Amino acid sequence: MRVPSSAAHKPASHKQATALLFVLPFLIFYVLFLIYPGIQACYLSLTNSEITGQGRFIGLGNFAELMHDADFWGSVLHTGYFVLLTVVPNTLIGFFLALLVVRLKRLRLVVLAAFFLPYVLPVSVVTTAAIWILDANFGILNSLTGINISWFQDPLWAMPSVAAVTIWWTVGFNVLLFIAGLQSIPQEYYEAAALDGASGFRRFAHITCPLIWPVTTLVLVLQLILQFKIFDQVYLLTLGGPYNSTLVVLLYMYRQAFQQNRGGYGAAIALVLVVIITVAAIVQFRVLRASRAAT
Amino acid sequence: MKATLICLVAGFFSASAYAATELTYWDFLGGGDGVRMKQIVEEFNKSQSDIHVTESTLTWGEPFYTKVHTGVVSGQTPDVMTYHLSHFAQGVQGKDLRPITNDELAQAGLKQSDFQDSIIQRSLEISKKYGQSDQLFGVPLDIHTIVLYYNKTALQKAGLLGSDGKPTGTDSLEAFAKMLGEAKSKTHLLPIAESTNSADPASCWRVWYTLFRQQNGDFIKDNQLSFADVENQGAKSLEAMANWTKEGYIPKNTTYASAVALFSAGRSVFMINGNWEVPTLVDLEKSKKLTFEYGIQAFPKLAGNSDTWADSHQLAIPNNQKNPPTPEKVAAALKFIAYVVKQQTWAGGGHIPAYLPLQQSDSYKQMVPNNEYSADAAKQVTLEPPLPIFGVASPSFSAISNFLLPAWNNQIPPDQAIKQFDAELEKYAKQQQ
Repeated sequence: MRVPSSAAHKPASHKQATALLFVLPFLIFYVLFLIYPGIQACYLSLTNSEITGQGRFIGLGNFAELMHDADFWGSVLHTGYFVLLTVVPNTLIGFFLALLVVRLKRLRLVVLAAFFLPYVLPVSVVTTAAIWILDANFGILNSLTGINISWFQDPLWAMPSVAAVTIWWTVGFNVLLFIAGLQSIPQEYYEAAALDGASGFRRFAHITCPLIWPVTTLVLVLQLILQFKIFDQVYLLTLGGPYNSTLVVLLYMYRQAFQQNRGGYGAAIALVLVVIITVAAIVQFRVLRASRAAT
Repeated sequence: MKATLICLVAGFFSASAYAATELTYWDFLGGGDGVRMKQIVEEFNKSQSDIHVTESTLTWGEPFYTKVHTGVVSGQTPDVMTYHLSHFAQGVQGKDLRPITNDELAQAGLKQSDFQDSIIQRSLEISKKYGQSDQLFGVPLDIHTIVLYYNKTALQKAGLLGSDGKPTGTDSLEAFAKMLGEAKSKTHLLPIAESTNSADPASCWRVWYTLFRQQNGDFIKDNQLSFADVENQGAKSLEAMANWTKEGYIPKNTTYASAVALFSAGRSVFMINGNWEVPTLVDLEKSKKLTFEYGIQAFPKLAGNSDTWADSHQLAIPNNQKNPPTPEKVAAALKFIAYVVKQQTWAGGGHIPAYLPLQQSDSYKQMVPNNEYSADAAKQVTLEPPLPIFGVASPSFSAISNFLLPAWNNQIPPDQAIKQFDAELEKYAKQQQ
């Protein structure tokens, strides 16, 4: 018996209408909550609006001011520093933890859960715990090690401390991605290499590394975009201090928009960050693709 | 069974016939005083059946004021809220506050002269300057200020407690520093627990502003913002504070919570902090967790006069132009406000009532431990400069964090810090115009 396939007989336009219907719910939200506010932000950046209400159109005035704003460029540098401290370390640590977990025969799920659990916690919980663990007067770290550093209040250590907390908090997700990647490498390759007498290190260097590279690229790009958007941890741990040493771009935007009540200027800062992230992501992706082609 | 049913039905009808006016109330009171405010709201709701108040506690400072401002613009505001007097210049200028007429006050049984005069005068000054109005934009609830908490047990052992039971060596900046040195060498405790981390500009500002004002310094000269005194008395104040750090009298880069813990754990001799930490000590003593006897005094006169930083919590009505409150709502809000300002429960949070009949009542004067400081502290009140760049959640906070705090922590020289501080404030003042 022939099953009548209605779809096959429908005209192409009808098919497209069906497709559109499926995409529509997403599209509505996408336009309403991303595209429309995005366009509004672009317009806002060309005005002298305060945080609410309409302002006067001032052309590129905000961007001109931004070019000479030392605090803004400082915040770009600090964001870059944070990205440097988190992206590669977070990826490497995630990779090594994943290697460790897949080798475990017993307690594998328990160990995996232990690495992944912090990721489940809300940022406020993570930072509150970190503040007390690293407190200069009462913190367990300083009292166990005898170190006398106020981690979040020392201009030298504040950013690395924020980065360390961030890595502890988010590395679990990278571990998961890497485990999935490692398990998708066919076991036969290793067996064949072992038969040929390849040592453990060579198997790692010539099988694991190249085959895990696509996952690594993915993790690196995701990390880069994520870490450029650093705000929560800094807002909760240091408020940009001490002395603006952890003032990152989004926190500076928040200060300008919500503290100084300058919505237009805040929008201009946000737009510049969008440009920076886009450029960085494209460059990184190109570099990674090129290096992959080379291997 | 039948009786219950009748009761239920009767209850239903009586409830619907006298539907209570619903009031939403926003505050920013998260600490020991927040617990007391909840108690007051509960008691108010029980005390009568015409008005029912629902309270929401939001985050103190900037998040609160941003939310109020966006609420006013979008027409979705609470009916009544707490507000800082030091934020009035920003709030009145930004049209976030609804003026309260004298008639409306009178209907709630209140008048301006019921409240501490210095608070009312400052409030009216701001109304005139930024709202072109001679009305109040809020009803004063309290006065809060910084006080000197001391560890009586430690001071006694070191021989630094006077015959009046108060610390000695608090009559000049030099004597104070000398006494702190002795306290340090004799007790081996930290002399002053103080919040000195850059995420808490407010604590640094309160101490610095107090010393600045005690040397007759002011930001306002001939009704204009002026930095002449800041370069002079302001720099001296900051230098004195930086010296405390240099000598190890205060801890560097310490968080607010740690500072409170240092004092309450008996690890410091003094704590300079707001009177809002009074309930912390009262509660710890009650549960027998305090290992020492503590005392509280009004902030000492360390220079020319005894002026001490202070602010005032006010109860205000948002200026909702899109959905203006009905006259009944306004009346209900003021009735609630009139009830709250008269409650001594609020003083349990360490605050000094702004409502004079309460402030001067015997029961308040005998309140322990408030009676150790409140009479003097009420006289020493010096408010923040009435300009939009100052006050809670104002631009001045980032200038303090970036320049005054590094100097306090001995990371940059005080005179250099003051110059940059002035330049930053000047920039903010220009941006506000």
